[in-house]
Amino acid sequence: MAKKKIIAAVGKDTDMETGYRIERFLAAEARALDEERYDDWLAMLDESVEYKLPILNNVYRRNRVGNTTFRETMIYDENFDKLKQRAAREDTGMVWLNDPVTHHIRTITNIESFCTDESSVYDVRSKFTLLRSRRNRDRVSHTGTRQDKVKDTGEGFKILSRIIYLPERVIVDKNLNMFF
Amino acid sequence: MSKFDYKQLIDHDAMLQSRSIFWDPDIYQEELKQIFNRCWLFLGHESQIPDAGDFLRTYMGEDDVIVVRGEDQEVRAFLNACSHRGNKVCQAEWGKTKAFTCSYHGWAFDTSGKLAAVPLEEVIYDNLDRSKLGLVPVARVQTYKGMIFGTFAEQGPDLLEYLGDAAYYLDVVLDASPEGMELIGSPFRVEITGNWKLPVENAIGDGYHVAWAHAGAMRVVGSIGQGRSESVLGIGKDNGGLDSSGQIQVTLPPHTILSTLDGQSGYALYDNPGPCIEFTEQKRPSVVDRLGEVRGNQLYGSETHMGIFPNLQIIQGLNLLRVIHPKGPGSFEVATYAMADKSAPDEVKEIIVKHVGQTFGTAGLLEGDDGDFTEAITHSADGYATRQMKGWLGMGKGRKIDWEGPGDASPGIVNELCQREFYLQWQKTMMAQSVSEILQQPSADEEVS
Repeated sequence: MAKKKIIAAVGKDTDMETGYRIERFLAAEARALDEERYDDWLAMLDESVEYKLPILNNVYRRNRVGNTTFRETMIYDENFDKLKQRAAREDTGMVWLNDPVTHHIRTITNIESFCTDESSVYDVRSKFTLLRSRRNRDRVSHTGTRQDKVKDTGEGFKILSRIIYLPERVIVDKNLNMFF
Repeated sequence: MSKFDYKQLIDHDAMLQSRSIFWDPDIYQEELKQIFNRCWLFLGHESQIPDAGDFLRTYMGEDDVIVVRGEDQEVRAFLNACSHRGNKVCQAEWGKTKAFTCSYHGWAFDTSGKLAAVPLEEVIYDNLDRSKLGLVPVARVQTYKGMIFGTFAEQGPDLLEYLGDAAYYLDVVLDASPEGMELIGSPFRVEITGNWKLPVENAIGDGYHVAWAHAGAMRVVGSIGQGRSESVLGIGKDNGGLDSSGQIQVTLPPHTILSTLDGQSGYALYDNPGPCIEFTEQKRPSVVDRLGEVRGNQLYGSETHMGIFPNLQIIQGLNLLRVIHPKGPGSFEVATYAMADKSAPDEVKEIIVKHVGQTFGTAGLLEGDDGDFTEAITHSADGYATRQMKGWLGMGKGRKIDWEGPGDASPGIVNELCQREFYLQWQKTMMAQSVSEILQQPSADEEVS
């Protein structure tokens, strides 16, 4: 009897070195954002980037989007220009909510890297926890899942797309004005 | 007799509001009774539940409510509570169903609210009168051009009477084309610290804060594509000047209107407004035919904020509809929907949906700034001395302007007329002995005399 396949693989695993480099890339990306280095972060994105965070709906399993006429709406549905615009807002020095500084700590873990049909493009799955802390005790932690496509350009990785799944229907926070 | 002195809490003549109205848990309980249990409240739009069995859930005050289209096509609303022990009979926020089945003991209610099935009924009950055990209906549910409203008040004015002259303005959104308006997709939902009245009056009347509170966002919105407008909503690029000529705030008690009246600035904050403006201008001649010159040329296409008392804001231009649900004195939930002319091409709807997300969605460039103020205004009042302070809304007092539409108008969107009016209506509604007293009250004398 053939051995039962127990890992639901997205694709073929990357080689160990590529997997390691991708992990380092995601950690460096998280650090750039934590340190508010938005120009550095934008340089990690491909200019064709698609960046999405759909609203998760609390619906019965039989009524999920696709089975009904309800149209999916997104909290983030951005291209490169839009992300640049958001970063520019942060850099105006006129976002009063972030002065004194709002601290962000991104923890990226459970990173799985898979090959895709395109050589040098990888399907990367990860979990994140984004802790946001401001003022004396305004602390919120968001935990979710990310699904990225990253491309090895030969001069480092670029993010081609990111879909963020945040399992929070009602967002209990002043906003989600941060990058995941 | 109420234990609260509402004349003292809201001193309309001095334009002062006691800070305790944002903080006091006892006042909040009175609000649930006097306002949310009596006024007509927005429940949803018919476009959200087009077919029999379609339902959605919302709140009336803090009451969890199911709105459902029955097999007979009738739209009804019920408290989401089983008649047996009170468990919720629906845990989904929207969907399609034949019945609402309680997860506790399995009692099932059909889409007209009738108790349709009780497990083991014949074995365990001798004479169960199912006709008396239906879901508790919202006393009255009525629609205005697709907008579904409900009230817990058995008596009192009908919806149309409650909307009064506000309908004249609502029609610019609801009746600009024969197809009407639609809400697109699932709403953004955020729970924010602060009292529910603050985001309401902010959205319906505070044109003053836009340039400063949202300074970071205002520096960048509209900067992609055709380039940033020199004057967004009459606010100069350097946030220093202000051209409010032609703009108005209007009171139609208990409701309010704010509008730029230029027929075009509704898309001022859009990065790529081209297709939206094109659609608006294509449409304009037929809107003038349907609604006349004033509405067709001045209101249609403008940035117009319609405040339907107590907690609904319809914002044409930004193209969003927002409901503020109270969650205790110090917290509120915002539900924000993208809205569009149903006859608009998909491309236009797509731009609108994206733009609503990018400005006033959960991660909107502007939406995120206000939570700090609502929190601080509400919770600084935890302090006894701070709570003795009063807020002041004195801007534009006594300024009047002729206006061809219904209501009393004051010039400029940077004006505090609508906010003053909101607190006056709050006061009157809290004091009203009967439901009919709440509605269509004469405007504040001193504003018009």
